[in-house]
Amino acid sequence: MTEPDAGSDLSSIRTTAVREGENYIINGEKIYISNGILSNLIVVACKTETENQSPHKDISLICVEDGSPGFSRGRNLEKTGWHSQDTGELIFRDCQVPVSNLLGEEGGGFYYMMEKLQQERLVSAIMSQASAEAAFNMTLDYYKQRKGLKQAEIPIDANGIAEMATDIEIERTFLNSLIYDHIKGEDIIKKVSMAKWWTSDMTNRVISQCMELYRDYGYLEDYKVGRFFRDVRAHPIYAGTNEIMKRIIGRKLGI
Amino acid sequence: MDFHLTIEQRDIQKAASEFAKGEFDPDATLDYDLRQQFPLTIWKKACELGFIGVCFPEEYGGQELGLLENALIVEAFCRQDSGIGMALALSDFGSEMILRNGNGDQKKRILPFIVHGKGIVTSAFLEEGYFLAPLATAAKISQDGCMINGMKSFVTLGSMADYIIVVCQTRPDTPNAQAVILLEREIDGIEVSSMGEKVGMRMIPVDHVAFTNVRVPVENIVGQEDTGYFQLQNFLNEMRIKTSAMGVGIAQGGLDKALEYSKKREQFGKPIASFGAVRNKLADMYIDVEMARLITYKAAWSFDIGAPDDRVILMSKMIASKAAYRNAYEAVQIYGGYGYMTEGHIEHFYRDAKVLDLFLEPGQIQRAMLADHILGMMSER
Repeated sequence: MTEPDAGSDLSSIRTTAVREGENYIINGEKIYISNGILSNLIVVACKTETENQSPHKDISLICVEDGSPGFSRGRNLEKTGWHSQDTGELIFRDCQVPVSNLLGEEGGGFYYMMEKLQQERLVSAIMSQASAEAAFNMTLDYYKQRKGLKQAEIPIDANGIAEMATDIEIERTFLNSLIYDHIKGEDIIKKVSMAKWWTSDMTNRVISQCMELYRDYGYLEDYKVGRFFRDVRAHPIYAGTNEIMKRIIGRKLGI
Repeated sequence: MDFHLTIEQRDIQKAASEFAKGEFDPDATLDYDLRQQFPLTIWKKACELGFIGVCFPEEYGGQELGLLENALIVEAFCRQDSGIGMALALSDFGSEMILRNGNGDQKKRILPFIVHGKGIVTSAFLEEGYFLAPLATAAKISQDGCMINGMKSFVTLGSMADYIIVVCQTRPDTPNAQAVILLEREIDGIEVSSMGEKVGMRMIPVDHVAFTNVRVPVENIVGQEDTGYFQLQNFLNEMRIKTSAMGVGIAQGGLDKALEYSKKREQFGKPIASFGAVRNKLADMYIDVEMARLITYKAAWSFDIGAPDDRVILMSKMIASKAAYRNAYEAVQIYGGYGYMTEGHIEHFYRDAKVLDLFLEPGQIQRAMLADHILGMMSER
């Protein structure tokens, strides 16, 4: 989906797919693509119509396979965390794929993505929640066996630990209800947008505090909490930034 | 009351800022961070131009400036780049103990060495377990000299330092009986091992330093034999102010970058700086920088007039570290996906900023100390 000039504003993508006989000819560039380097099959959001239509009705989803003529990979980008997966660039120069690679109907892409983004955002919230729970449990185990703490520090730490445990517990209840509603097929766009921004903020807050419970050790990569810290910084950004989530919630509330 | 910097202070600020803009090449910066290397060339140049050891007396090559002037330099450096800024600010870590408590010979030996960029000085006080009194590292002191045994951890630049200023327990039964001892890194019995990779601050190695029957003459004791604990506390207080200055710099640097990027980056047909969500963040970031700067300058000022205000100093470190963290966090957010990528030149600010919360002592301990102060449970200086 994402392009150098099309991030939050998905409808402004510039990658084009022009039909020529039995093929689409794709031109454009994508960036920040998860598994962009490793992937064998890529669903590419392209503009298929340039006529005077709504910008939401000219996007189509087209499958591009590894080895398609005119398709190449760009750089594997260095990043803060998520080091166990690549984030790559994709380049399409007169890339040729058969028309049968079109997913669904031509021009339906924007709506397909919007439909599926509900699930992506739910999964993102689950990832944030799971990261917060895992890092918190690990930190609590470490803290309990930690020696050398001063008497005056412990009540301050305990207060923070209680707050973190509460945040995590409350969010799990909310998320569980959303998972249930989503499986039932309900439209939970407003609530899932709430969960995505709140949980990804919460997990960053919790894990940053967890690092402080490790004291200086939290900054050492050997102690793993630092890896959580680096990894979860992506959560408020990907799958729709938290600012976009709030915009969606505002719209759903009629403002 | 006058909140204006003097002309001289503004000149220093300007010179430091110009140096940082000219010398901290953005791509080289990322490279130092990636390869975990200390920016040696830049540090040498900073020494040549007189940015290191500015508080030292003129007879030792310094400029006899105050901590506020030093803070202005640290701020300007960290504003331009969090990693290089911290590396330069910590290249003389512990020299304060020589400056404040050392005798003439020790000053003559160490201070010009630092000012002229001949080498790195660091101090070692933290240990596994974190007790600062009593310390496990012990020094047996007699007329023949000092013999040191033990291990220090979290020694910044331990592997690069030419001198290590170590704080040792002199009498195990009296927690505050400690001595500050100056050691040449090259003498027998000192072994340095890395504590591994870190989340940020990657230009500065952090090491264990082990001492096995390390012998030095009594002339290497800095200050009095049993006053080390108090010397260390005073040093920590001074370092809190310097750390606050790093925080102000990183917070301001995050804001600078966020402002520049949000005016340039367009989505939905206009610059993202025109969206409420971004504007709110920018305003909050501006507030954080201003608050952190005010209290940091106040802390430095109190130190320079000879009446260090412990409460203000504690607060400055807490406020400035949080400002650095929050502003780096929000700058990454404003950059979006680009913010999470190394090439965005902002994500290392975020990783670096987090150390300030943990450095010297974590916020929890500082809060406990501040509570003691305001409840009247801590003796005032």
